[in-house]
Amino acid sequence: MSIIKSKNLVHEYIRRDEEGNVESIQVALDHVNLNVEPGQFISILGHNGSGKSTFAKHINALLTPSEGTLIVDGMNTSDDEFTFAVRQTAGMVFQNPDNQIIASVVDEDVAFGPENIGVPTQEILKRVEKSLKMVGMYKYKNHSPNKLSGGQKQRVAIAGVMAMEPKCIILDEPTAMLDPDGRKDVLQAVHTLNKEKGITVILITHYMEEVVDSDYVFVMEKGKVFMEGKPREIFKDVELLKAHSLDVPQVTQLAYELRQAGVPLPECVLTREELIDELKAAKASGFTPNLSSLVEMEAENNHFTGSGNSDTSKENVLILDHVSYKYSPNTAYEVKALDDVSLSIKEGEFIGVIGHTGSGKSTLVQHLNGLIKSTDGVIYYRGQDIYDKDYDIKELRTQVGIVFQYPEHQLFETTVFKDVQFGPKNQGLDEKEQIKRAYEALGLVGLPEEFYLASPFELSGGQKRRAAIAGVIAMKPAVIILDEPTAGLDPKGRDDILGMITEMHRKRGDTVILVSHSMEDVANYVDRIIVMDAGKPAFDGTPKQVFAHYKELEKMGLAAPQVTYVMNDLKNEGMNVDASATTVEAAKASILKAFN
Amino acid sequence: MLRDITLGQYYPAESVLHSLDPRVKLFSTLVFIITLFSANNVILFGFVLITLVGIIKMSHVPFSFMVKGLRSIVMLLIIAGLFNLFLTPGRELVSFWIFSISDVGLKNAVLMTSRMILLIIGTSIMTLTTTPNQLTDGLEKSLGFMKRFGVPVHEISMMMSIALRFIPILIEETDKIMKAQMARGADFESGGLIKKAKNMVPLLVPLFVSAFRRANDLSFAMEARCYNGGEGRTKMRPLTYSSLDQRAYICIGIFIVVFYAAKVIL
Repeated sequence: MSIIKSKNLVHEYIRRDEEGNVESIQVALDHVNLNVEPGQFISILGHNGSGKSTFAKHINALLTPSEGTLIVDGMNTSDDEFTFAVRQTAGMVFQNPDNQIIASVVDEDVAFGPENIGVPTQEILKRVEKSLKMVGMYKYKNHSPNKLSGGQKQRVAIAGVMAMEPKCIILDEPTAMLDPDGRKDVLQAVHTLNKEKGITVILITHYMEEVVDSDYVFVMEKGKVFMEGKPREIFKDVELLKAHSLDVPQVTQLAYELRQAGVPLPECVLTREELIDELKAAKASGFTPNLSSLVEMEAENNHFTGSGNSDTSKENVLILDHVSYKYSPNTAYEVKALDDVSLSIKEGEFIGVIGHTGSGKSTLVQHLNGLIKSTDGVIYYRGQDIYDKDYDIKELRTQVGIVFQYPEHQLFETTVFKDVQFGPKNQGLDEKEQIKRAYEALGLVGLPEEFYLASPFELSGGQKRRAAIAGVIAMKPAVIILDEPTAGLDPKGRDDILGMITEMHRKRGDTVILVSHSMEDVANYVDRIIVMDAGKPAFDGTPKQVFAHYKELEKMGLAAPQVTYVMNDLKNEGMNVDASATTVEAAKASILKAFN
Repeated sequence: MLRDITLGQYYPAESVLHSLDPRVKLFSTLVFIITLFSANNVILFGFVLITLVGIIKMSHVPFSFMVKGLRSIVMLLIIAGLFNLFLTPGRELVSFWIFSISDVGLKNAVLMTSRMILLIIGTSIMTLTTTPNQLTDGLEKSLGFMKRFGVPVHEISMMMSIALRFIPILIEETDKIMKAQMARGADFESGGLIKKAKNMVPLLVPLFVSAFRRANDLSFAMEARCYNGGEGRTKMRPLTYSSLDQRAYICIGIFIVVFYAAKVIL
């Protein structure tokens, strides 16, 4: 018997005006039919707004169907009588780690669920201990959640659900706000629950790598299930997925492109090991690719890397001279966030800054426009000491713009246009110039004109982010810093924003500094990478140079892009490939060459 | 600035006071406040003071930590003291220009300020030795009888503990938004009162929006975990009195008897 069974499930969000008349109806779920068997590991994919979160809330009876039925473990969720039984059977973990922890101590939070359903005291203590051990958080039981990392908080939230002894656990984008380390820990915990405790898992995610290991995948769009099947069947159709704003794992992408170039590979390759084995087999079979396609691609490739090389003749915009920064200096809590950093940043460079949470990368970029003042050392902007008492720090802030993480959280005006005008207005420009600047900036970020006079709070997630980025660009900074600009966006949103940033960089020739967790993003777009570790730059060079140190990067809680691993494995297997390739294009070219 | 307030902060340490039931501490704080304000002569006042010193010693919280809590109300103390000093009628002791100090005024000023200081220290001992959660639990249980009069005691204490959980998060958020707006050239420091208030809009609007979003998320998370008000709820650590608490109640009883006996006799 299936544990979750939805039949023609429809959900409509109805918006009413003040008199209660229906203003608009938005169909979030449109006749969804799906079945989940007990013990399965299910993934649900779909871009933002595809209805997957709405569906998740139905399984937990937080929402009830407008039409159709949803049966959870034999109980109809529309029946009020079962509401609490359903919630106990199918527990839910949400996206934001901070907004789902209720108590100020870890173990008290895990106890919240059992307390609500009236579990006896002794039993609660047992369950709390058991659940915390399951997710590996037992030693933190007396900690305050505020002192934990995002990944640790999510594991506490999972323990909180497990303490209610559910049969099924639904995770709604649990890793969207985490760094790679935290993501790994959370996924590991979820897989353990599935394998060892037989808990049915429903994982909603944007990260294609997380889907590969699941038993069955549903892909949703516009409130409908538009594809379903085993991961291998889903990722077969790379073009179709891309057309629907989704993505495939990088290894699958590489295999797909090699296959397109004629390499005899199976229809769908999901893991690194598979790809290596298949390529070895192809090599052994004596396959040689069509050379003409290779030559064509080489030319394209050269063109691609040609513009990227940093020009040594360019002037330094920013110089950091032995900069150190300590949080709470001279107390017991003293933390060295930056430790004797010396760097120079040239005009027009496109730089990626990577490092795990707490490595000092955010502290570093906030120094560059004087938001944080170093405890030691000097920073020069175009040759001038920014800590000089005559230096105009406000002017520096207009020259070096920072787009913070989740920049849409800073929107406040009544219209998008007014919000973008805020920066230029603070610069003291006249009204005409303010409007001109705002108009230009909104054009650069590619926000459609019909949204200019809308309230920023009515936009979708990706549009809000564009509006917020425009708010910084409108000040016409010479250096623009973006802290995790793609955090929480779906694959399409991510590619759009990164494409937009690259396009802007090309058009304006400004200096761009991109802080990111995603090695793939950084490898694809930037010319130079600075790796931060324990408050110091550990590596500084082109993506190829930096990712050659992938073993050291792993020790810092980082990783190289997936393709770099593939190339290194191939090299170890004796194939003559360029192990330093960091993008799918470069890897493809190098592998094809090796076949000759 | 927000970080300097010690009132309502917990100081982790091992002491008899830390292990007492929060209800005992709430009751004794109430007794302390009542006796403090009914002590109308030096001997009674001294008696209360000595008891307080003893309790401070027992708490294992550094005295300097408690005094820090006073810093935020120094202005209030000075103003209250001065008003009492100059504006109380009575036999004139000193006078200059338009000011005069009377004997009653002097007595009142001294009594008033020392009462206030003791009040703050006394109550901060309670908050320093009790975690916010214990405190709300204690309040919920001791005020449980008010449920009969339609006061939503459980809901209020749940709101208090959620507020305590989110204060540090919102402080951090404020800091983040402030920096983001400063990066767009916002100025939170200069200008007059009205200009300053106007400049706060770019900070306050996002902060409110975020608080509402968090509240919305949290309500979903609580419902998902079967929260349905206080009915039928059990506790992982229910409050139960130990022999230590009984002895503490006896001590408080003795204190009350001694205090009021002394008050009648003197």
